[in-house]
Amino acid sequence: MRALVIDDSRTMRRIVADMLGELGFDTSQAANGREALDMLAAGETFDLACVDWNMPVMDGLEFVAAVRARREWRDLTLIMVTTEGEQGQVVRALAAGAHEYVMKPFTPDALASKLGLLGLLPAEESI
Amino acid sequence: MSTLAAVDTVAVTAIAAEVFDAMIDRESGLLTPASGTSMTVTDPLYAWVDLGTVPASRLQLTTDVGTADDLTRAFLSMGEAEPVAEADVVDAFGEIANVFGGNIKALLPEHVDLTLPEVSRQSPSGDRAVLLNETRLAWRGRPLVISLYTI
Repeated sequence: MRALVIDDSRTMRRIVADMLGELGFDTSQAANGREALDMLAAGETFDLACVDWNMPVMDGLEFVAAVRARREWRDLTLIMVTTEGEQGQVVRALAAGAHEYVMKPFTPDALASKLGLLGLLPAEESI
Repeated sequence: MSTLAAVDTVAVTAIAAEVFDAMIDRESGLLTPASGTSMTVTDPLYAWVDLGTVPASRLQLTTDVGTADDLTRAFLSMGEAEPVAEADVVDAFGEIANVFGGNIKALLPEHVDLTLPEVSRQSPSGDRAVLLNETRLAWRGRPLVISLYTI
């Protein structure tokens, strides 16, 4: 499985990519929504995108909406990984098309639990 | 109208413990309340985010440069003696402020915007800033100050 980690903080990109790598994902990284869209438009394919909310250039909500507007990317699972913990913001993210939501700070187990709910854990991690 | 006036040291300390336990130390107990006033920051590095409250407010972290280096190593699971780049310190310390700010923001009754984090060796909060709350903590015995201001 392939995952795209989208966050303007390279620290967070590295941490989330390491967590996903431990779970068996091959990961790529993008520093904002625009960069991630460019990767998708160039033909790169992913099973999962972990998207920060608060980013320069194109934020996570704009990215989610842009992905959902394109039929060819409809199979991409989107998880918001963010500090935006307000209930209203969660509703906005899900309404825009995100599948799940992880609030910083989070542990590897919390991320794995969300991926399990989405049926996205590689087989050996699900046992 | 949202302000940070109601956010107290208990709430700040609880958020700090959650952030450090989950993402930095990956174990609990390494961040504690600072005892007395003996712990001072001598070579400060500041990280902050601003919140769109009315009036505007700021969440600011202050620690020593050397402690920020070690925070970065812990955040990135680096070895204790591994060299850490200044850009990594700026990014990691800023991200810690960002996570704090987002969690403080979640305590407010209304949605407010949060700026992207900034990091500097110069204090961003000048004479016009009004200190609302200051929480003094010790991370592995070294000072970490969390300040809330109106700006």
